[in-house]
Amino acid sequence: MMKRIVVGMGLAVLAAAQPQPGAEGRQQLTMHFRDPSMPRKLVVEGGTGSLTIRGYQGQDAIIEYTGREISGANGRGPGRRNEPPAGMHRIGESRGLDITEEDNTVRVNSQGIFGGTARDMVIQVPAQTSVNVKTMFGGSMTIENISGDIEAENFNGQVTITNASGSVVAHSMNGKILVSLDRVAPDKSMSFSTFNGDIDVTLPADTKARFKMRTDFGEIYTDFDVKMEANAAPVVEESKDKSGKSRRRVRVDGTQTGTINGGGPEMQFTTFNGRILIHKK
Amino acid sequence: MNCEQAKTQMLGGTIPGENQGEEFAAHLASCETCRNESSRIGALWQSLDLLPVEEPSGKVRERFYEMLGAYRQGQASVTMPVKQAWPRMIWQVAAAAALLAVGLGIGYGVHEDRSRPELVQLREEVASMRQLVALSLMQQQSASDRLRGVSWSYQVEPSDEEVMKQLVTTVNHDPNVNVRLAAVDALRPFTGSPATHLMARNAVIEALPKQTTPIVQVALIDFLAELKERNAAPELRRLVSDPDIDSGVRKRAEWALERMQ
Repeated sequence: MMKRIVVGMGLAVLAAAQPQPGAEGRQQLTMHFRDPSMPRKLVVEGGTGSLTIRGYQGQDAIIEYTGREISGANGRGPGRRNEPPAGMHRIGESRGLDITEEDNTVRVNSQGIFGGTARDMVIQVPAQTSVNVKTMFGGSMTIENISGDIEAENFNGQVTITNASGSVVAHSMNGKILVSLDRVAPDKSMSFSTFNGDIDVTLPADTKARFKMRTDFGEIYTDFDVKMEANAAPVVEESKDKSGKSRRRVRVDGTQTGTINGGGPEMQFTTFNGRILIHKK
Repeated sequence: MNCEQAKTQMLGGTIPGENQGEEFAAHLASCETCRNESSRIGALWQSLDLLPVEEPSGKVRERFYEMLGAYRQGQASVTMPVKQAWPRMIWQVAAAAALLAVGLGIGYGVHEDRSRPELVQLREEVASMRQLVALSLMQQQSASDRLRGVSWSYQVEPSDEEVMKQLVTTVNHDPNVNVRLAAVDALRPFTGSPATHLMARNAVIEALPKQTTPIVQVALIDFLAELKERNAAPELRRLVSDPDIDSGVRKRAEWALERMQ
């Protein structure tokens, strides 16, 4: 059983050609989570604009975006069942914004190539929802007030997660990872990684964790009392460059480990070209 | 293998004369009920593991002394007749003696030499439990759980082929970048074990061309450089000369090639 809302391709292109500024271009639609007593999940894929996901006190997922008009494909409206005919399965769909609900998971997909993107999307979900967001060409990504598990992946933009109180697993290729946790779910592993950006994480003062930190061209800063574990000795490498001159390079093996408040689940911080900052709240 | 035998195996029992691993896997593949049961047991282990360790709050000490004080007061005002107190005391002494005996027995058993079959079996059971936890966590829906599975893998024997294979699958197919990254690191111990090092090294070489995420590519390149794995040189050269590859990754591949010489 599945609910589906599709924003059709034709309309999407039209909207791209005539961007509607202001309130006129702003659309809102609501998707129910089938069973409020069961764990909820929100999955968002694609999109080229900025994306904000916010926990709130309600029960539904409220999706708000600019530049699109909602229409059911073949006249199907929001909330209508869109089951494939008996004995058939779907092999294609109109490119656009595709929102489905199945087994308490709301999926928002805007992977389309031509205008199949919703700009500046804001999605509100009950705070106790697990969130899984992945964009390839997106701008900044913001996730606020979520107490479920958060998985966030962005390519170019910054990932900002504030007032989280569950667990966070976040990656950005080129952007910064900025995370602040009000509370840490016990026994949850977390991981923060970026290739070119800084990692800036704020944790409650009493967090128990084992940090695994790695940065190749940056530094690590913290105001936590980290008990460092013995790390691998620096490696001295001798090599010859193209002209035959020998070169020497000292490399401290990337990963450093240490515990706070006696240790706990693992938290990994990995960046190649950025700094790692771990603040005490 | 029938359902009954499969269930015994799930619960940690053994069936004599069977090639258990393969048969069990084959049975799971063919029987949905057992598959569900197996994942249910996996989830159970996992939730047992999630139970937070209760920690005494600062007030416990205060309350203890309050109680002790009250008890002393009570003792001072009511003196129990000796005759009534006797039977209770005998029981208490007997219970204490019994506990002491059990404790000594356990202590003796633990210090006993390693060749005793029960202990070997116990150790094997602990190992297989760790394996079960690592494997089942690595197949969970949430990335945080899968990361925990990857950290659990550090606790299995580095000769554990099944866990190593699952880590390789995770490196190659996990949808989450951070989980893939952690799994690359977790393969390190396996490259040091005589039983698995060849397999692990080959897995790392084969994983590199499958990766498209720069941070994971670099982790694999570093790993290959550390292993001085010359069989990876062709793939590294391909990366260096591919203009579509991220420049940071290409530089790293170049550095790794230099280091291997």
